[in-house]
Parts: sequence; structure tokens; C-alpha cells
Amino acid sequence: LQPQAGAPQYGGYPQPEQQPAQAPGYQYPQQPPQPGYPVQQPQQPQPGQPGYPTHEYGYPAPAAPAAAGVGGITQGMGGMNLGAQPQPGQPAQAQAPRAAMNQLYPTDLLNQPFNASELDLPPPPITLPPNSSVTPSPDANCPSKYIRSTLNAVPTTHSLLKKSKLPFALVVQPYASLHDDEDNVPVIQDQVISRCRRCRTYINPYVTFLDHGHRWRCNMCNLSNDVPQAFDWDAASQQSVDRWQRAELNHSVVEFVAPQEYMVRPPQPLVYLFLFDVSYAAVSNGLVATAARTILDSLNRIPNADRRTRLGFLAVDSSLHYFSVPKDEDENGEVSQLVVSDLDEPFLPVPHDLLVTLSESRQSIETFLTKLPNMFQNNQSNMSCMGSALRAGHKLISALGGKIVVLTSSLPNLGVGKLEMREDKKLLGTSKEGALLQTANSFYKSFAVECSKNQVCVDMFLFASQYQDVASLSNLPRYTGGQTWFYPGWHASRPEDALKFATEFSDFLSSEIGLEAVLRVRGTSGLRMNSFYGNFFNRSSDLCAFPAFPRDQCYVVEVAIDESLTKNFMCLQAAVLHTTCNGERRIRVMTLALPTTANLSDVYASADQVAITTYFSHKAVERALSSGLDAARDALQSKVTELLQVFKKELAGGSMGGGLQFPSNLRALPILFLGLMKNVGLRKSAQIPTDIRSAALCLLSTLPAPLLMRYIYPRLYSLHDMPDNAGTPEPETGHIVLPPALNLSSERFVPYGLYLIDDGQTQFLWVGRDAVPQLIQDVFGVEDKTQLQVGKGRVPELESDFNERVRAVVHKSRDHKSLGVGSITVPHLYIVREDGEPSLKLWAQTLLVEDRADQGVSAAQWLGMLREKVMQ
Amino acid sequence: MDYEALKEQWSEMEDRDGARLSWNVFPSSRMEASRLVAPIGVLYTPLKEKLDTPLLQFEPVTCKQPCRAVLNPFCQVDTRARVWICPFCLSRNQLPPHYKDITNNAIPPELHPANSTIEYRLSRPAPAPPIFLYVVDMCQEEDSLASLKESLVMSLSLLPENALVGLITYGTMAHVHEIGYDECAKSYVFRGSKDYSAKQVQDMLGLTSAAMRPGLQAQPGRPMPMGPASRFLMPVQQAEFQLTKALEALQKDPWPVANDRRNLRCTGVALSVAVGLLESSFQNAGARIMLFAGGPATEGPGMVVGPELREPIRSHHDIDRDNIKYFKKALKFYDNLAKRTAHNGHVIDIFAGCLDQVGLLEMKGLCNSTGGHMILTDSFTSSMFKQSFVRVFEKDGDENLLMGFNAVLEVLTTKELKVTGLIGHAVSLNKKSVSVGETECGIGNTCSWKMCGIDPQASYGIYFEIASQGVPAHQQAPQQGIMQFLTYYQHSSGQFHLRVTTIARNLSGPAGDPTVAQSFDQEAAAVLMSRIAVFKAEVDDGPDVLRWVDRMLIRLCSRFADYRKDDPSSFRLEKNFTLYPQFMFHLRRSQFLQVFNNSPDETAFYRHVLNHEDVANSLVMIQPTLDSYTFDQDGGQPVLLDSASIQPTHILLLDTFFHILIFHGETVAEWRKAGYQEQEGYENFAALLEQPKEDARDLITDRFPLPRFIVCDAGGSQARFLLSKLNPSTTHTTGAYGGVGATTAQTIFTDDVSLQTFMEHLMKLAVSGTT
Ligand SMILES: [Zn+2]
Ligand SMILES: [Zn+2]
Repeated sequence: LQPQAGAPQYGGYPQPEQQPAQAPGYQYPQQPPQPGYPVQQPQQPQPGQPGYPTHEYGYPAPAAPAAAGVGGITQGMGGMNLGAQPQPGQPAQAQAPRAAMNQLYPTDLLNQPFNASELDLPPPPITLPPNSSVTPSPDANCPSKYIRSTLNAVPTTHSLLKKSKLPFALVVQPYASLHDDEDNVPVIQDQVISRCRRCRTYINPYVTFLDHGHRWRCNMCNLSNDVPQAFDWDAASQQSVDRWQRAELNHSVVEFVAPQEYMVRPPQPLVYLFLFDVSYAAVSNGLVATAARTILDSLNRIPNADRRTRLGFLAVDSSLHYFSVPKDEDENGEVSQLVVSDLDEPFLPVPHDLLVTLSESRQSIETFLTKLPNMFQNNQSNMSCMGSALRAGHKLISALGGKIVVLTSSLPNLGVGKLEMREDKKLLGTSKEGALLQTANSFYKSFAVECSKNQVCVDMFLFASQYQDVASLSNLPRYTGGQTWFYPGWHASRPEDALKFATEFSDFLSSEIGLEAVLRVRGTSGLRMNSFYGNFFNRSSDLCAFPAFPRDQCYVVEVAIDESLTKNFMCLQAAVLHTTCNGERRIRVMTLALPTTANLSDVYASADQVAITTYFSHKAVERALSSGLDAARDALQSKVTELLQVFKKELAGGSMGGGLQFPSNLRALPILFLGLMKNVGLRKSAQIPTDIRSAALCLLSTLPAPLLMRYIYPRLYSLHDMPDNAGTPEPETGHIVLPPALNLSSERFVPYGLYLIDDGQTQFLWVGRDAVPQLIQDVFGVEDKTQLQVGKGRVPELESDFNERVRAVVHKSRDHKSLGVGSITVPHLYIVREDGEPSLKLWAQTLLVEDRADQGVSAAQWLGMLREKVMQ
Repeated sequence: MDYEALKEQWSEMEDRDGARLSWNVFPSSRMEASRLVAPIGVLYTPLKEKLDTPLLQFEPVTCKQPCRAVLNPFCQVDTRARVWICPFCLSRNQLPPHYKDITNNAIPPELHPANSTIEYRLSRPAPAPPIFLYVVDMCQEEDSLASLKESLVMSLSLLPENALVGLITYGTMAHVHEIGYDECAKSYVFRGSKDYSAKQVQDMLGLTSAAMRPGLQAQPGRPMPMGPASRFLMPVQQAEFQLTKALEALQKDPWPVANDRRNLRCTGVALSVAVGLLESSFQNAGARIMLFAGGPATEGPGMVVGPELREPIRSHHDIDRDNIKYFKKALKFYDNLAKRTAHNGHVIDIFAGCLDQVGLLEMKGLCNSTGGHMILTDSFTSSMFKQSFVRVFEKDGDENLLMGFNAVLEVLTTKELKVTGLIGHAVSLNKKSVSVGETECGIGNTCSWKMCGIDPQASYGIYFEIASQGVPAHQQAPQQGIMQFLTYYQHSSGQFHLRVTTIARNLSGPAGDPTVAQSFDQEAAAVLMSRIAVFKAEVDDGPDVLRWVDRMLIRLCSRFADYRKDDPSSFRLEKNFTLYPQFMFHLRRSQFLQVFNNSPDETAFYRHVLNHEDVANSLVMIQPTLDSYTFDQDGGQPVLLDSASIQPTHILLLDTFFHILIFHGETVAEWRKAGYQEQEGYENFAALLEQPKEDARDLITDRFPLPRFIVCDAGGSQARFLLSKLNPSTTHTTGAYGGVGATTAQTIFTDDVSLQTFMEHLMKLAVSGTT
């Protein structure tokens, strides 16, 4: 059972007593306990009930049960909104009462530690004053899957914000899925786009109408604007329309179809230029064949509704191999290969046929992709001039813009942007490690800027078995709206590797990305968008440019309060102007309204620990790249200390008692920070190859919040004793029920257990050293755990009911759709035996964030340390 | 011996040795030599086809180092002692053991007097089969390209099966086609605007295998005997299918060209890539780079004109006025390339198929230094191109191509003679020997030259000086001066051959020996003079060269004519001198020295051909032949190359070597237009029309390059080709000043002096004794 993202009810902090069953957000079956997996050992490790975890981490009884009122008010608001028609022309809610704020529930982190399942809870509710929105629509405010604010109650002044030490930032994720049909957002087709004359804000549910509805007052800058004539008129049907039905007044997330004036040039077609590394490394690990095959199989999935999608191919070793692909109608047309070895200034060998329309050259493309692996099967070159290839590719598509997809197993060691093997194992874990995370060749930054200027996005699919300098290569995706996908040690001969990449790459190709996009965020007067984090190029102070706009990344925008906020709520509006991959110019507009407060307690009570952690994840990556890993970790630690201190000093009256006090809604924050510091990207260790780190840093600064939470605080499920309904569909929704999430501590493990640890990138199926043969037989179909194939693998499909449920859980755990995010990632599943391959076991254990390991402290030590610092 | 008998003798010797000498008796002293005026020289055709002499299948017997002269009929052989004395260095050499059976009656063929020219087939094999690398211009009209493609495809069947072929195409860029690649059409592309070094070319083609992983195995079923370059150059029998496919698939250069611009054509890059490709893997293997140029280079190194159409390609006037933007740079570029190519032992042929110029003037060194052909035609659709191209691949009776590769010529002389230079398609090998003279004529200061490409027609002017100060009084019997020509070359059968020609001529007696003057071969002398004049013209100003030609002629006449001082009417020349002034007259007027009526490309072409041909063909070029046909006359009659030969009822057949022209007199043309030849009773007229055509066909048979064939009528625009060659005995000036010409004769609009005027001036100056 997953809490519904964006559900109007806030999990249950306020009403634990009224609805005890739902209180912690989980519905544990109230049936008599069942022996889960036979526990035959006479000496049972835990005296508790076998089969179920004891509820020792259940939600604490709130100390101040004053929440009933909030619920009542919320109810009332709903009632009012439903009952009363909005009155156009009614004066704005200037005099309206402030909304009741979320209550602060301090908890003791030491005595009432957080429970892993809390991470699934929705953010603290946004409680706006009555009649804030112009329509009573339940969709008037922005769902948290699109925008999460670190603060759901905004300080009215900069000084209050400063005092709180909390960040004020938005986590913006404009798309909730790779495909439109899974992410229903109303589309406004009539091209009537009413915007504020002064601040260019799009009309939204939080404007107010004046002058008998002829004018509207901007909720950002207060200017009154004319309502366009066409606003109430449907030109197509020649009828007047009911303004109150218009989507932009009812929905906080809408998409406008943009008219001509939103285009600098006609909408560009979708362009994919594939740069294949065809050197020995990429041929011998099967990359060329697998990638070619996957593109071939995915031709129907590549968005091409307007039949304008264009593809191009470039093979790269010590030379650039262009391919001239004829149109299918050319009778004598044959694919020809044009080799250019002049790498200093790459040039196009022929003026056309290098970038061809998929619909016109479908047959030729298929023929080419079929032949491609053979063309290079005997290639012995161990050179890669990928930098020159990128230059060449840029030249080829820069007139149109589009995506350059790099598929490489090599370090670019020739030509423009040439890189060197610079990783020195001796430097790992030292202060010099930071330099390895920085770009080795300025080409990768300057070229990225050039790409951005010409609407060219670069995606990196990296497959090296040796050092590949992910740190340098990842710059191109970073500044062009692309992504770095890292498959270390990948080899097509392993079916899991081949399948993972093929599935991910195919989903990547099918994704309905946007093109030529810009993101701008506007806010109520007095607010200023201060800094931006994510993969794009910050073109001007408040404009982020994306040659291609992906659907599986999030962005963080830090907001500064320059002038005091006078109203009782404020608004933020994020707009993504883009071209759809079908050639339509559109603007996706998301409007978020948040209450304001002058009260620090409100600020803390409405702070969103997930959004805050996401913000600091981006900050930590920035810090790691600029000042090194130690600095990044130190900053995290001092930040969490600072917050605890503020809380102690300002809100807990300076006393902590014997514990460590913090609001219940932020209870996970210290552990999330610990998870972040222990993440492979930031962890103190002398064992982590630079490329692995760099790739992790890419994830830490791009993953949508729900996936980021898993990545820094992985999921742990106990399978051997999971409840009966776990792994089976929930009757009403058909969704697979997951077992309760456990905290990441080895204390949760029993030696005879079977566990799933999942960080969204990798899944580990942990088989305890005393796992009984029956369990092994049921799940893996082998008699004895010694026969178990450890390492990368999968759970076989067996007849057994338990096997089916385990598979269902493993599968459901990877299901990002149910998390409300788009993602192409299919995690690898590793089968780990507690008494098997030690390195694999160690790897899996690094995900147990609350354990003490190597150079990292345990959760208890961490909290103890924090307490000490706070007490000082 | 009278003149006719002497001529007969020279002709026999020419047949035997492929050599014609200007002087067939050598003056015995330097002093006397200086008074001959005309150079002592030989026009030598090393590979002149000889069917009657045996091809010796053993290694030649040679004199010791450094002489290395080859045993020849002029050696003294002591059959009993089995010793031979080298005539050049006077060393005594033992005959090798296998000559033990030699007697005065049983001598080996190389000693036989009739075998003054003989050929050895050496045991040294060629490093590779002959290589043909086609370099094809893609900036052409569809029909022209189609026709060229057809010729190229057809040519594959003319190549020996084992010959290696390759293909480079160019336009805006240069493409090297990897014909050995099965998966798809594949080419390596070079930027047209960049001057690639040899190393870059080789790296970019992957010919330096540094980028390869060690332990690379040859792919099964794909032999790599020649190393990485075998991807680009494959045996015909193996690659014919792919190459035919590649050729047929060739498309016009795809880059767009604006209306006011020329195609971008990177001829220079294409050639430098071709040279680089062969250089790396086939150093000193027999190879021809055949360039098919459809227009001038307009891009990159070696460009001869800018891409903008409003900028015209340079003319002789531009060069004269030094108004040339690209000329010197291009010339330097191609000359460097030529030097490299010659050094590598490779040949570059240029086939121009373009109404306009393609830059032959700049590129001429490529052919001239490597023994390549230069063929200038209007279009690749023309039969002139098609047939000339086919002619390149002519074969001998054994199905071997009539072309040699990697040829080197060395000259040895007895001590009286020293070689001063060579004029022809070759480069110096800078080899010093006792045979090398002090002065320099043509490519001098060496006794050895590399010609790379050589064919049975290829002829070289080789010049000598006399070294001895005079005949010692005690020596009575006239001695002989001997020269030996050693031509090593790669025969297209795959072996190296050595052609040895040994020529001996008497040395003159004491000063004033009349046999010297009698031995003057005016034809050979005229041709040898022409080569010097053209050689000078390449570096000197045109008027200077003309003055030099005049001065030499006057001096020769002063020296050898019979006259009373200051009495032109007394001027007489011996029979073997009479034609010489005429040759010089026509040479002065010829396209070789009068460049302004031709384009620089044409000049380069004409001069190239002149430097390749033997005496007979060269004479036709210098002084065209004219035959006249009319009724009641059996066949054509040679007539004077004079405007007076134009008669209304006559048909003229002009052969300038480059043009064959049939000219119908006014009346003949009218009759023909009226169609009499088709009417009964006018068979004789039909036959008359047919005769010159048949004769023209005969002339064309052996002609290379194929001449342009023109049929025209009196008054027609094409008739200008004829008129420009005729002696202007009846110009508009003569008419105006006294009406000397017959009323029926054609009046030529020219300011040239006529032959008569020329001769008058010559006689006057010759007898005046002031030169
Ligand atoms: Zn506004
Ligand atoms: Zn000797």
C-alpha cells in the first residue's frame, strides 16, 4: 500500500487517534500473526512474534493533540469551496484570514527514531486561506509530484528565513512520466494565453478578477490586466464558453499550445544522432551490436507522430565514420560509409543524407542497423576520437538542434577533447580525490555551452571496463539537459546486462521529450529565483535552457525573499516553454500557492524533509565538484547540526532533555543526511573508483525526489516473513502490495531471512546464512543454497506461490510509475549470500545506512554525535 | 655517299637503335665542335619496338665498377684469352666462365654487330604487379560523367588480371574508396581545402598501423599481402565486381554550387592523397596515377582559379603581366608533388575532359617529371578521349601492356664525348661520372635520369659536348666516339628489363674535315633544336627564345652555306641543310613558341607531346604536312604548306599531329552541298571526297593522343585551323602592296612574315657575317 502522492490528507500526523488504522500511513494486517517462513531453529533469535516485525517504530503518540481543529478547518474549506461559486470581481482575499498552520510535533530522535516507511508520506499539507483560488477546483494547487517546496509555509521575511536556517527552494519535476498518456495534464488548445503585462505570469487559479470580470489582477505583481476577448469564446464552435470551466483557472498544472510568437523559428523535428564507439572495446563487449539491435527494435517506439523525426549515425574509432543513408525511394540507393580521419577540424563529408527522416528512410535505416555490427566486427583499433565526433555531430545537427546520443566503451584518447587515464588509486580517499571529479579538459565545458546555444543535447551512455573519465564526459549532459548513464563493466554476453541496457535504451528512445526548452520560475513580488540546480545551462539570471527536456529529471530552484511578503499566501509559477516531439510549441505551466507565516514554528512544522534533502543533495554535489568530498560532507553535517541547534534554541526552549528534539515532520532528515553522506557519490572511502563516484554524483543531482530518497536511503523488505497479502495485488487497485519497509540496519536481519535491498539503481536479494532449504527451493528452485548462483541474476519463474510473490515484490519495488516519476532505469538484481562472495556482501551492506561501516558511523553514533554538538 | 644514301643509312640506324643524331660524325676537338652551331645530340627512343632482336634471358656482362658498361659489339674481345676490353674505360675484363665456348665464329648475341641494341630480361622481379589508381573528378555534367564511368569500367578489362586498381574521387572533397570492403560502399574523405602532409595522409588512411592492436591477424579469406594499402588497391580479377559497382554508383559531387560560382574541385588534395597512398606501401613499384579532370582546381592547395565565376582563369597575357593570384603557389605545389612522385617511381597521367582549361600549365610537372601522359580533350564524351584512353592500355603480342615502369636511363661515353643533358620526360638522378660534361643542356650535370613511365614511343633528346682538345697528330685512322644507353625498367610482365643501345660514330679528321657537314641530319637537328627552344621557353621570355632561334639559324647558315660575303643572291645551302631554315621558320610560328593564340593549358599540352615524340612525329608538329586532292590525280599530292595551295577544286588534308583537317575548296564544297556525290555519274567526285578521309583514318591509326579531326569548307569558321598553319605567302598586306598572290589563292589575314620574307632576311644576315 502506497500513500497516494499528493493526497490531500497529510498522512496522519494530525489525526493519529481518530484514524488509528491509518495513523502511520501503513495498514498492518490485524490478523493473528502467522508463521511466515518456517522457523525451525529451536533457538529463535527474537522472542517476539515470528513473522512480523514488532511495531517498535510505530508512530509516536503526538504530544500535543491539537490537530483536530486543522482537520475541521480543512473540511470546512472544502465545503466552502464546493458550496460557493467564486464571485468574479470580488476583491482579492487581502483581508481573508490566515490559514491555520500545521502544528509542530517535536519528537525525540533518540527515543523515537524515524521509521523507513515515513519517507513515503506526502509532504506537510499546504493549508491556504479560504477562497485563495478563483475556482473551487481540487486541482487548483500544484501536486507535490510536480513541485515540492522545502517550506510549505513561507516565512514572510528574509530574516525569518535566515533565522530558520532552512533553505527555501522548489524541487521542480515538470513531468511525472516518460509518456503523455501516463501523465494527464489538461492541454489548452485555443492559443488564448493570457499573461500579466508586467511580470509575464500566466493566468492561473490564484488570480482575481475585477471590473465585472473584464480584468484580472496578477497574483504575482498585483497589476491588473485585460481579460482577452477570446477568453470566453470558443472560436472553433463559435460559442461562448464558461470561463469557470477553463482549465487554466481550475488546474494548477496545464499545458498551453503556443501561438507563433512563442517560436523563434518553426518547431524543430525530433533529431537523434547516435555516436557509436566502434573501437575494439565496444565491439568486443557487444555494445555496438546491442545498441544497433535495440535501436532497430525501437524504431516504432521513437516518437514520430509528425513523421519528421530524423536519425543520423556516426561510428567512431581513430576516425569518424559517417553513414550516408539514402531514401527508400532511391532505387539504387545504398548506405555508404564515409571515413574522416582529419580530427582537428571535423567536417561533413557530404552535404546531405547523413541525417535522414525516419519515415522516408526506414528501410535503409533498418538495413544499416542490421549491417552495422558486421562492419566493425574485426575492428582492432583501440582509439576513440569521441571529442572530435561530438564536434562533427554538432556540425551535423546544429542547424536543427536535437539529441546526440553517445554510446561508448572507451576513454576518448584521440583528437579534440582528448582525455588521459588520470585516476591514481593512491589518491582515492585523500583530499586530492576531488580533483579527479573535476573536468580534465576544458573542451567538455566550452563545447557544452556551444551545444546549448545550438539546441543540441548530449546523452552519454558509458560502458567502459576501465577508467573512462565520467567526470569529464558527464559535463556535456550536465549543461545540455541530457543524462549520463553508466554501465560499468557491462558485457552483452551476460543476459542481465544486455537486457538491462536494451530495456533502458529502448525506453530512453521512446520517451516523449521536449525540445528547445526554457524553464523560468516566477514568484510573488518580493521573491527572487536565486539559484538553479540540475542539468541545463543557466542562460540568464532566471532562465534555464534545455536543448532537450527530459522527463526523468528534477530541478531545484532556490528562492530568495528580497522583500517582506505581505499577503497571507504567495505564489510561484514554473513554466517550461518547449517544442513537443511532435512539433508543437507548448508551455507547461505549474502554479504553486503557499501560505506565508511570520512564525518560525509554522515554518518548521511545514518543512518538507524530502524536498530539503533533495536541495542539499544538489548542494552537496556542487560542493563536491568545486571543493571536494570532505567539504561536501562537512557542509552536510554542519547544516543538520545547525538545524538541530536552531530548533533547540528557538523552538524547544533551549532544552533537549536527554534526547535530541526535532519536529516529527523532519524526523528523517538527520538519517537522510547520513544516507547522503554515505552514498557512493560522497562516502569517505579509498575504494571507490572515480568513475563510479562521478556517475553517482550525476544521479544525486538529477534524480526525481522519490527516486533520490531511495538512492540515499534504500528500501529494505523482509521477504521470508512478509505478510500474506504482500506480493499479491491489492483487490481494489490491482497494485501489488509491498511488505512494510524496514530501516536499513543489520539489526533487522535474521540469519535465516530473505531480504530485498533496493536503492533504485541496484537490488540485492539477500539470503541469510541460515536460510532453510525450503525457502531456497521455493524461491530459487534449487535444493541447497550452495547451488545458488550469486551475483547479477534474476529470480527464476517457478510455480511456487512464494516465488511468485517474491518476484512480484522485486518487480513492484522497481516500479517508478507508482512513485509518480518517469525513469528508464531497470535496476540490476544481485543475489547475495550472507556466507557467499564477501565483496558482494560488503557491497550490499554499504546500503545499510544505519550500520556502522568502514569509515562511516552508525545511525546511533550519528545521532549521538549530533546531540553532542547541539548540546555544546 | 650522297645525301639520299646517307639518309637511308640514318634511317636504318634509327630502326636498329631508335636513335637519330644531329651530327653523324663527331668533331674531334672542342674548338671544331663549337663551330657546328647546332647541338651535338641524339633523339633516342629507348623502348622502340624491335621484333627482330632476341630478348636475352640472362644477366648482362658488365665492366667493373664504377664503369658498369655492358658488353657490346664495339668491345674488343680476345676469344682465346676470354678477355674483353671496355671501350669506355679501357679496362680489361674476364669473360664469365659460361662464355668459355666463345670463338670468332660463335659469338654471343650481344656481341653481334647487328645487335647494337639489345634487351635483357633480368632476374630481378618487380616488387608488385602494375598499379593503376584512378583519380576521378566528380564535378561534371551527367553525360560527361556517365561517359567517363563507362570508359573506366571498360578499362578494367584492359588491365592485366593481377594489376592492382584503386579509385579516388574528388570534388569539394577527396574520397579514397576502400574497394576491398564488403559491407557497404566505403570511402575515406579528405577535406578539399587542406594541404595534407604525406604522413597525415598515411595516418588518416590507416596505413601506419600504429593505431592497431598488436597481434592483429589477417582476416580469413581476405589476404593482406600488401599490407594495409591493399584495402584500397586490389587485383583486378578480385575487385572487378566491387570496382565496377563503385564506378557505376558514382554521383556528381553532391555539394551545392551557386550560380555565380564554379564547382569546388580539390584536384590538388586528390592528387596528393593518391601520391601519399602509393608512397607508403608501393615505393618504387610500378604505378600509374591517372587523373581525369573535368575542370580546374578551385579549392585547396594547387587551386588554379578561385571559385567565383567572375574571376577568369589565367591566360598567357595574365602570366606575362604577372597578374596571377594562384599560379606560382600552384606551380610550386604540383612541382613538389611531381618530385615526390618521381622519387617514388610512380607515374601521373592527366586526362583533361573540359572545354575550358583545367590547369595543365600548373600541373604539367606531374606528367613531365614522371613520364605520364597528358591528354587534353574537350569532353570525356569525345572519341578523342575515349580512344586515346584505350590506347594507353595497348598490348604487345604477348599480351603485355606496352608500358614500362620505374625506368632509369644511364649514358656512358668514350672519353671524347661528355653528356651535357637530357630534354624529355624525366628527372635527374644526380649521378656524376666521367661521362658528365661541363656545360648543361636541359636536365644536366648527371649521366643518369629517372623517367618512371616509359613507352615504346617515348623519345628523349640527349645532348653532348666534345671534350678533347684536338686529334694528336700521330693518330691517323679516324677513331670512333661511342655512347652507350642503358635503360633499366620494370616490364609489365613483372620482370625488370635492361635495354642496351651502343652507338658509335666516326670522329672527324683534322680541322675542316668536310664529312662533319655532310653528316648533318637536318631533321634530327631541327627536332633537337626545338626541344632546346621549348626548354628555354619554359623559363625565358618568348621573344628572347625567338631571337635565340634566329641567331642560331643565322650562325648555322653563315657557317655551312656557300655564299659570297654580303651577296645574298649568292647564298646556297647543301642538300642536307636546305630544309632546316624552313623547319626553324615553322618552329618560330608554331604553338610551341607562339603562345598567345593558345591557352596556357594548350601550350603545356603541346610542349608535353613534343617532348615525347620521335623525329618523324616531331617534325609533323613543327611543320605540318599538307596533301592536296583533286580530279585526275592518283591520291593526295604533298603540296607546300602555303596559302597558295588552297584551290577551289582541291581538297586539302592537313596533319599538324594534333589536328587532322580536311579542307574542301570553294567549288568542291559547293558541289558537295549540292549533293553531287550521291548522284549517278559523279562517282569520281564521291571517290574524291572519300580519298582524304581514308588517308586521314590511316594517319589516326597510330597516333597518340588521338588528334582532333576537323572537316571544313573554304570560308567556314573551322578553316582557321588550316589558315593558321599556312605560310602567309598571300596576306592582305601583299595584296595591298602589289597583288603578288594569284587571284585564286586564299588571302591570309596575318601580320606574320611569309617564308619568302623570312628567307630573304636570313640570307641577308647570313652573308653579312654580323650575327
Ligand atoms: Zn504580474
Ligand atoms: Zn668500362
